[in-house]
Amino acid sequence: MSELLANLWMGFHVAANPFNVLFCLLGALVGTLVGVLPGIGTVATIAMLLPITFGLPPVGALIMLAGIYYGAQYGGSTTSVLVNIPGEATSVVTCLDGHQMARQGRAGPALSIAAIGSFFAGCVATVLVAALGTPLTSIALLFGPAEYFSLMALGLIFAVVLAKGSVLKAVAMVLTGLLLSMVGSDLETGAGRMTFDIAELADGIGFTNIAMGVFGFAEIIRNLELPAESRDIVSAKITGLMPNRKDLIDSAGAIARGTILGSILGILPGGGAVIASFAAYTFEKRIAKDPSRFGRGAIEGVAAPESANNAAAQTSFIPLLTLGIPPNAVMALMVGAMTIHGIVPGPQVMTKQPELFWGMIASMWIGNLMLVVINLPLVGVWVTLLRVPYRLLYPSIIVFCCIGVYSINNSPTDVVIAALFGVIGFWLIKHDFEGAPMLLGFVLGPLMEENLRRAMLIARGDATVFFTRPISAVLLTTAIVLLIIAGLPKIRRRRDEVFVE
Amino acid sequence: MSEGVTPSPKGTGWGFQVNSHNLLGGLVLAVVALAMLAFGFYLPNTVVPRLMAGVVTLIGIGVAIGWVPVHGPRDFYGGMALVLLSILALTASAELPGQRGFAFGPGTAPRLFSIALAAMGAAVALGGVFVEGPPIEKYKIRGPALVILSILSFAVMIRGFNVTIFGIPLYMPALGLIPSTFFAFIISIFGSTEMRWVESLIAAAAMTAFCVLLFVYLLNLPFQLWPRFY
Repeated sequence: MSELLANLWMGFHVAANPFNVLFCLLGALVGTLVGVLPGIGTVATIAMLLPITFGLPPVGALIMLAGIYYGAQYGGSTTSVLVNIPGEATSVVTCLDGHQMARQGRAGPALSIAAIGSFFAGCVATVLVAALGTPLTSIALLFGPAEYFSLMALGLIFAVVLAKGSVLKAVAMVLTGLLLSMVGSDLETGAGRMTFDIAELADGIGFTNIAMGVFGFAEIIRNLELPAESRDIVSAKITGLMPNRKDLIDSAGAIARGTILGSILGILPGGGAVIASFAAYTFEKRIAKDPSRFGRGAIEGVAAPESANNAAAQTSFIPLLTLGIPPNAVMALMVGAMTIHGIVPGPQVMTKQPELFWGMIASMWIGNLMLVVINLPLVGVWVTLLRVPYRLLYPSIIVFCCIGVYSINNSPTDVVIAALFGVIGFWLIKHDFEGAPMLLGFVLGPLMEENLRRAMLIARGDATVFFTRPISAVLLTTAIVLLIIAGLPKIRRRRDEVFVE
Repeated sequence: MSEGVTPSPKGTGWGFQVNSHNLLGGLVLAVVALAMLAFGFYLPNTVVPRLMAGVVTLIGIGVAIGWVPVHGPRDFYGGMALVLLSILALTASAELPGQRGFAFGPGTAPRLFSIALAAMGAAVALGGVFVEGPPIEKYKIRGPALVILSILSFAVMIRGFNVTIFGIPLYMPALGLIPSTFFAFIISIFGSTEMRWVESLIAAAAMTAFCVLLFVYLLNLPFQLWPRFY
């Protein structure tokens, strides 16, 4: 316990460095700014803003990225409440009651309860991340290549099962991502693989190019196709930001329950924060004395999902920081960012770079505090931003992304590759394929291959090693069972229902 | 997807039922597969991908003439595209050395995952043959094409080019950040049907100024701002 406190103290020492506080503030602010814009998801936001963090020192960059992440999430809920268009997938359910509250002139309390709930959830999740960090890391250090490979396989399967859409297609996307990650020089022999003798491909396909293409450009192209939506911005002046005593009492339980649900679901790979917000809302509705209030401006309907998605957003750092395995697309982006800064995510981060590890955890708390402090006074600014028409917004995003992609390597080829992935991403949307599993596969690809090769070499070419080593056997068996269960027709139908709801 | 399942417009029975939609789709499939087959003959060691490409060609022809009924075109063509991708990957990694003794070669893992992808793609496509699914959404050309064009033009303008195509030397100087951003903005804004000139020009100028401020002055990235002729 005292060790935990000492570590946290060191973390706060790092995070409270004025520069890091500034990066955290900037991240939260910029993240909210982009997150508020409807039609740009969390992943796209982070992909867009990745390049601007590359010039910073590693600790600062990661703190800023984490800030961007929470900011984007929080910005999403602002849009939900004010415009009834979810800014992010995680705030879809917030629309239901949040916008109703706004229409009743209670936008202020809705937003502040969302912020307070998020802050509370953030505090709990920060402690959880810190507490689980050490034991999980020590488990991870026991892992050999075979276990690592199995763990990654399990992580990918989890992500597939918990994501929406067809399991078969998601597996196919994971495999596509794995294949794409193999383009470029081989790690061990340096042989150029699947490069078609194109010099620019020798280093492999840049991770930011794929992320920006599939999540940035493709989403914009997709939005351009849809008919222009009429936006129902709550135009009444927002008065009375603070919730009254009754609001606080009503939502206290909901916040606590949302936090618990979110923390648990966040650790699981897959849609983490999205599932958490849906689950929390459904749960609140089920246990409520008068479920008919939901959908008509019940404050619990805002408090629970917002707390849950923030808790989940934060606990999803646990698998990344301790095991080095990104549980969802956002964390995959984090892996990309860490790799660009020369940090290999995994258990060794905690032992070799304790300042980075604990500094990041402490900055999560600071970031959440900032969201409460800066966002409520800035609601007016966000409303103005929401009035910018999409026809001016999307060209801005496009040029911003172009400059961002170009600036990473000063390479026009990267921009062309990103454009290509934009087209591919658009095609994937048309055929109901998800981009997130592909990105996860792409990020995990090199690690998976390396561990697979090493495990096979150590076992002298015996592929049964994955089932004879106990930990690996358990992990792989779980993965296979999960896949079979998800494939069963009955479960599949229930799963579809959950996602439709 | 939530927009209910509409029955596919084509007949359900076997036999010659030429349907313009599937005729086109099947032909595209067959042509791409044939191209891959031809590509495979240029490289040694490509028996497996050649065989696969041959099979896909036959399936494509089958679809085009209506022998293979396609009930879920989204899944069918999606799955087939993945099969084609795996064929491409198999062909491209054919020359890489495989397993030697206990050690994986550089080619082992790509081949392993390609085969797995082909199996998954085939399964998805098979679902598209037997299970009724939504039709492929229509593609709107204007917006997407202009957005992609603007991205590509940014790539060209920022660095310029100096290439020789069929003996004709083509040269364009690097335009620098300011003109590239401005023109890319203007091109992409044409993708919207509600574009207005004055507003667009002001927005383009404002965004250019913002980007220059952010990337050049705040982030200190080395950018050339204006065209340089030499």
